[in-house]
Amino acid sequence: MSGLLANWADWLPQLWKGLLISLQLTGAALAAGLPLGLALALLTSARTPWLKWPAIALVEVGRGAPALVVLQMVYYGLPSAGINVSAFISGALALALTTGAYTSEILRAGINAVPKGEVEAGHALGMTPGDVLRFVVIPQGVVFAVPALMGFAILIFQATALTFTIAIPELLARAYRIGAATYLYLDVLILAGLVYLAITIPFGWLVNRAARRLGSHLG
Amino acid sequence: MSEAQTPAGPPVVSLKKINIRYGNHHAVRDVSLDIARGEVVAMVGPSGAGKSTLLRAINMLETPSSGTLHVGDFTFSLDHRLSQKELLALRRSTGMVFQQFNLFPHMTVEKNISLPQMRVLGRSRAEADKVTARLLERVHLADKAKAYPARLSGGQQQRIAIARALALDPKVMLFDEPTSALDPELGLDVLEVMRELAADGMTMIVVTHEIAFAAEVADRVIVMADGEIIEQGPPDQVIRNPQLPRTQKFFRAILDRH
Ligand SMILES: Nc1ncnc2c1ncn2[C@@H]1O[C@H](COP(=O)(O)OP(=O)(O)OP(=O)(O)O)[C@@H](O)[C@H]1O
Ligand SMILES: [Mg+2]
Repeated sequence: MSGLLANWADWLPQLWKGLLISLQLTGAALAAGLPLGLALALLTSARTPWLKWPAIALVEVGRGAPALVVLQMVYYGLPSAGINVSAFISGALALALTTGAYTSEILRAGINAVPKGEVEAGHALGMTPGDVLRFVVIPQGVVFAVPALMGFAILIFQATALTFTIAIPELLARAYRIGAATYLYLDVLILAGLVYLAITIPFGWLVNRAARRLGSHLG
Repeated sequence: MSEAQTPAGPPVVSLKKINIRYGNHHAVRDVSLDIARGEVVAMVGPSGAGKSTLLRAINMLETPSSGTLHVGDFTFSLDHRLSQKELLALRRSTGMVFQQFNLFPHMTVEKNISLPQMRVLGRSRAEADKVTARLLERVHLADKAKAYPARLSGGQQQRIAIARALALDPKVMLFDEPTSALDPELGLDVLEVMRELAADGMTMIVVTHEIAFAAEVADRVIVMADGEIIEQGPPDQVIRNPQLPRTQKFFRAILDRH
């Protein structure tokens, strides 16, 4: 037991560096993916077919294809399209696409929860449809979606583990590297799991609090 | 109440042969109606008569299938679709007050009233806030500028909704049962504000079940049933001495309830 703890203490600095990269990937995926999700949420409800159908296709592919497949497609696809970027950028881009596809549905549900009467009031005041979206629908719809979006943020944080397959030195990749060097795979994976939990569990509490606060605001 | 007993000048609102259909259901049938500047019209009738539908056609929240619509300076033939520009122009000349208030809950009272002025009329924030302050005085809620709607009573929210519509200087105010969602006492403040508005010469169309209010404030009472105007005239005549048996029955039922 004390051997295990000693090993963990040895490995933790490595895993800590990996965790920082995992968190950066999560941040990048959300920073690019959430605006994409909002755009897709609006476009999939658009009345113009040539805006609507490509957006629906992107959402369906993004949700239907396993995140690992999207990741590999971006990682190998970009260079063959003549675009050379780092593995980190590829990984962040792929996770952003997945984030966009999933959060578009979450944001759409939030937007649909904005009372129709308020939209009507905006129109009756003579506001343009764009202004009604910008000032009435989106600010409220996004707030309604916050708890579900936070829940999704946990999932995408966990999904950053997939990027070890494209050699990004994130948390899981570093755990594997230690495993390969020491053959103590199980020991190091348990530690990696605990590090993931150290992030997801407190964040999960925050999600619940946010959901409750929002619920009491609405109720 | 206002000087419009003898309609002078062109009508502010003029509907000609308006038809509105929901699928096979013919909700408004060939309705024509002229409303003079400063006139206050109360629209009454049984549930499902088409009162809301007709009122909402005046700012095109409902789309008539045929007819001609004139509001303020604009005349539209409804046989073809209105352009976005025409639609916005029409809505800028009308103000609407809904049964459920429909304030924007994420904005303060002041922002609810100022933002549409800035976006729709292009007023600066300073100009808009000045108009807002004046209107809050007018609806007797000057101390609520920084409050959020959820903190206000229903009657207060409805008065804010009236101020929000007035802030855009509409040619006509449309009210769809503005007190129906309120306890009777709370409705009184709203009716008082509407009474003052009528006395100031605002052109108003009010769908209402408040017969006492209609009798006191309206210049004309319009009775709708089955998508048509079946009877209209000064309140003294229509409410106290209705001609059609159907109208008599309607008013008797309402008076019995009170
Ligand atoms: N969106 C809609 N789709 C289908 N039918 C509708 C719709 N809106 C109204 N109707 C129908 O049109 C008719 C007129 O409705 P409207 O709401 O105008 O009546 P109203 O006179 O305002 O009644 P109330 O006093 O109950 O408000 C009703 O038969 C109603 O069922
Ligand atoms: Mg109605």
